[in-house]
Amino acid sequence: MAQGFTPGQTQAPLANDYAGDEVAAIVLDPGYSTIRAGFAGEDTPKSVVPTHYGVYEPSDSAGPELLFGENAIHNPKKGLEIRNPLNNEGIVEDADTTAKLWEYAITSRLTGSTGSARAIRDGEKNGEGDPDVDMDEAEDTAEKPLADSPLMMTEPGWNSPKAREKAIEIAIEEWGTPAFWLGRQGTLAAFSAGKSTALVVDLGASTTSVTPVYDGQMLKKGIMRSPLAGNFVSDQIRLLFAQSQPPVPLTPHYIVKSKTAVDAGTPAQAIYHEFGFEPSASFRRFEEERVLTEFKESVVQVWHGPGRFMGGPQGASNEEIAKGLQGRPFEMPDGWNQVFTAERFKAAEGLFDHKAAVTAPDQPPPRPDQTLPQLINASLQTTDADVRTQLLTNVVVVGGSSLLYGLTDRLNAELTQMYTGPRVRLQAPGSTIERKFASWLGGSILASLGSFHQMWVSRKEYEEHGPNIVEKRCR
Amino acid sequence: MPAFKDDQIIIISPGSRTTLAQLGLPESFTPAKLRFKSRMFPAEKDGEWEPFKVRRRGKPAANGDAPPADPQPVAEDGEDGVQYEEDIHSDEGAIWPIEEGRITDWPCFFALMTYVYNTMNPPFHTPILLVAQPAWTSREREKLTQFFFEKFKTPAFGLLDSAVAALYAFGTMTATVVDVGFEKADVTAISDFLVHEHGRTVALPRCGGEAMTERLYEMLKGRGFTPEMCEQLKTSPICEVLPLGVDLPLVGEGEREAPANPAAAASTGANASGPGHRNSAGAMGDAPRGPGPDTDVGEEQKEDDDNEGVLDVASIVTGGKMNEYLARKEKEKAEKAVARRKGAQEAATNAPKAARLPNSKRPRNTFIYEDYALHSALKDMNLSGQKMAEMQAALSDAPQQKQRTADENGDSAMIVDGYSSTEHGIPRDGPIRREIEVGIERFQAATGGILENLADAIHRTISSVEEVNKRSELWDGLIIVGNGAKIRGFKEALLATLNSKYIISPSSATIFTSELPSNLTTPSGTGTNTPQPQAPPHAAGGSNVNPLLFAATTSQNPHLNPGSQIQPMHTHNTHSSHGQTPTSIKTAKIPEYFPEWKEAGFDEATFLGAQVAAKVFFVVDQSGSKAYMTRTDYNDQGPSGIHEFSV
Repeated sequence: MAQGFTPGQTQAPLANDYAGDEVAAIVLDPGYSTIRAGFAGEDTPKSVVPTHYGVYEPSDSAGPELLFGENAIHNPKKGLEIRNPLNNEGIVEDADTTAKLWEYAITSRLTGSTGSARAIRDGEKNGEGDPDVDMDEAEDTAEKPLADSPLMMTEPGWNSPKAREKAIEIAIEEWGTPAFWLGRQGTLAAFSAGKSTALVVDLGASTTSVTPVYDGQMLKKGIMRSPLAGNFVSDQIRLLFAQSQPPVPLTPHYIVKSKTAVDAGTPAQAIYHEFGFEPSASFRRFEEERVLTEFKESVVQVWHGPGRFMGGPQGASNEEIAKGLQGRPFEMPDGWNQVFTAERFKAAEGLFDHKAAVTAPDQPPPRPDQTLPQLINASLQTTDADVRTQLLTNVVVVGGSSLLYGLTDRLNAELTQMYTGPRVRLQAPGSTIERKFASWLGGSILASLGSFHQMWVSRKEYEEHGPNIVEKRCR
Repeated sequence: MPAFKDDQIIIISPGSRTTLAQLGLPESFTPAKLRFKSRMFPAEKDGEWEPFKVRRRGKPAANGDAPPADPQPVAEDGEDGVQYEEDIHSDEGAIWPIEEGRITDWPCFFALMTYVYNTMNPPFHTPILLVAQPAWTSREREKLTQFFFEKFKTPAFGLLDSAVAALYAFGTMTATVVDVGFEKADVTAISDFLVHEHGRTVALPRCGGEAMTERLYEMLKGRGFTPEMCEQLKTSPICEVLPLGVDLPLVGEGEREAPANPAAAASTGANASGPGHRNSAGAMGDAPRGPGPDTDVGEEQKEDDDNEGVLDVASIVTGGKMNEYLARKEKEKAEKAVARRKGAQEAATNAPKAARLPNSKRPRNTFIYEDYALHSALKDMNLSGQKMAEMQAALSDAPQQKQRTADENGDSAMIVDGYSSTEHGIPRDGPIRREIEVGIERFQAATGGILENLADAIHRTISSVEEVNKRSELWDGLIIVGNGAKIRGFKEALLATLNSKYIISPSSATIFTSELPSNLTTPSGTGTNTPQPQAPPHAAGGSNVNPLLFAATTSQNPHLNPGSQIQPMHTHNTHSSHGQTPTSIKTAKIPEYFPEWKEAGFDEATFLGAQVAAKVFFVVDQSGSKAYMTRTDYNDQGPSGIHEFSV
């Protein structure tokens, strides 16, 4: 192809002209459940990869192999363990793997592993020699996955200074990004809802957080977080299953070869796969989580009131009322099915009412200050009265777990009850994508603004000041 | 006036194995006019590429039939004696620039595109529509855009996602596209033309046609099969994926009836020859010609004087045992002819019955193997033209006139390269055809877990669609395309797997409510399906009415249901309160407007969709849909502008 690949009649813009807002920056938004990555200015992240990864260690191999991405981690294999590099509070524990996962999120769908558009441009700009050769060289030299694009990363508001420095180090030194910026997830979520002042309630997988944002600035002392989030609801469902009489069998899909329809509540009659080995417990748990997600989507509902689920009005328990309501059927992958009536309200009630949480000896009830209303209250108490009023009229609810049916309505009811004086206005993005990827979206909007140009921390500045610059520049 | 004419549109659809291309849109769309193997050969000069294997050969040498010890003796010949010859079939030393949908060797890929483009020899004002693999990253798409604009000076360039292309072919807006390729499969959920990038299964490895070939090889290598044989077995009509629950035909049964119909042996060469074929030869005292469950090929192969079961004839030829082998082959043929004559008389009456048995009931069946390896081994020996023809005749099992039928009646996905159409090559220069028998392994190509993996990926993809109310519709619109899904019975088996693993039966506990009108959106007659406001079927608290009755009446009239009053600020709160999916699984039906496509099958419907899309983009709506980038746009925005234009 060598001959004839000459620069076009019109010269493509030179590499130097591509800067800031012209080359789309990459926005990376890591979370406990998924890592979102995409180009700034787009409305959805192109790349959403699970944070869970596989460690595959066949008995005959020397070292474990890391498996990233949906395609690699759902097939039962002997010696496959599923792990998450973040701890239960959403803080990075395994920094090396996390960096690799982040890189995978960027390269797998956005940049490609070797591809580098700039390399071609350079080849042309120099206009020397055979472009083919230049391209070959580019593949050798441009191993750095982000040599082309500025990178905006998001972080939880309670990230440690050390973790922040580590992030810029990875981005600039390992990935070779020319410019970097670190944004707070809460602030960015507020931007995604088009607000610069908001009280952001983010219900994620591992953590629920409340972040007051005033005039585009996060109010650090007002950040509150608690573990009552998506994983907590999953655990509640597991307990409910285990404690019901007879226990509900939680069977993941991979075990079942084919199922037969059975009557409600009767044992499943499925044909099961025989693996000849026992898939690891972590793998099973990870796959069970898929079933629980389906359960959350189609059965679980947040009690809609009036009042809390436990202890209803006029002495009559709401639980009794709930039992009279129409149930929702759920079928397990093995065909076992049942109608859930009152149970489906119980699973999420613990988010609001610590007394309602399902408990077990090894799973103590949550503390009262961890519940959603108390969390919001604690956060608001740290702010000035006038700011508080503004925040209450701009409550933004985001995060995947906020999609639990009826959650926003219930939260609205709880807040209205707590703050009778000021007007409470709750806003939750309409589309599921905006809700799940709010902080990514905020980052995408921010990074594509022309005025953001000056905010980037350039590689030069990093080289001059060291990683500590992130503390000064990205507040 | 449209900006572009029908006959000036190029469509290129690169795949890991096969690249389809076409210049111009005919009145009625036909399957791709040009098929290329997606591979190039490094030329002698660095950085240049050749579309075919180039063989150096000396002048027809005197040592004609003495098999040379060194397989490539001519390479050392003097310069003056060297001739070059293109071998259009050989893949030896080829570089396949696309692996699992990803472009792994860019110079090679660009060379392939250049070759494809030049083969079409398009006129000046020709827009290009490239069918993009889902695995291509954004940056890679930019790179491609730059290449096409600057190398070919195209006036307009469009990138069409392969899944969207399939959608166009099926004339629908919402579907789950399962594209089973060579080494990978892609599963894409699309609703209202919108690709759900999140959760999309991109390039699921080991779920394509190659995985099935490997599976066959794994089972058959003990019988002396080569991977190439398995590949051809897979593409032959006798390879099937049997529906779930259908037992494999018992070997015993076949054995019993086999001696009864030796006549079937007479139909050598036809794909549908009887199961008794080889057994009858055995009964006549002849040695088994091909591998079968009862020939111990693996061991015998090593013995010099017992080569009957050997399949890899090419190695014999290069190994210098040619003459011995040929002699035996002659004898075999003669004996077989006798057998044929004898058998035909006795068993002519029994034969038709057995021959009518469908493939799936027979324990054994045969297919025609086109032995390119042997052919090229012969070529390496520098035989003269006549010698070559003799050798071919001697080695070939299938009568030459049968070849045509084998090509036609098989769904044989034989790839014909650009200009090597069928009239060229076959009589003298064709591959050596041999008949090979295979047992029940031919039904087990998909037993390596490929169906389960694919089914799981489909479930995962649809389950990660954010708009849960769309999922039911996505399950009802499965589109299975790709040549990997071409094996007989594959699609049915995949559907059966999905059905047996994932379908949600109406719960017996809610048998009454399950008959309530679904509150999921259903496509209306006009094809428009606006999302209906969702009515949660559960009634509000405090109602004393029978909740089931209440739900039955209110679910059709959401405003009657007090529980569903949604706070004004959550207008689009349609994210939850749905039933589990799937409650039914259906495949989308393809509109059969195009007779040529109907005839060829819709495995390559992606290309049909690309044709439809090209017509729509370049001719009907022009730039209105912003589905392609013009030269002017490119000059203004550079390669990264492509993301605003591609579909």
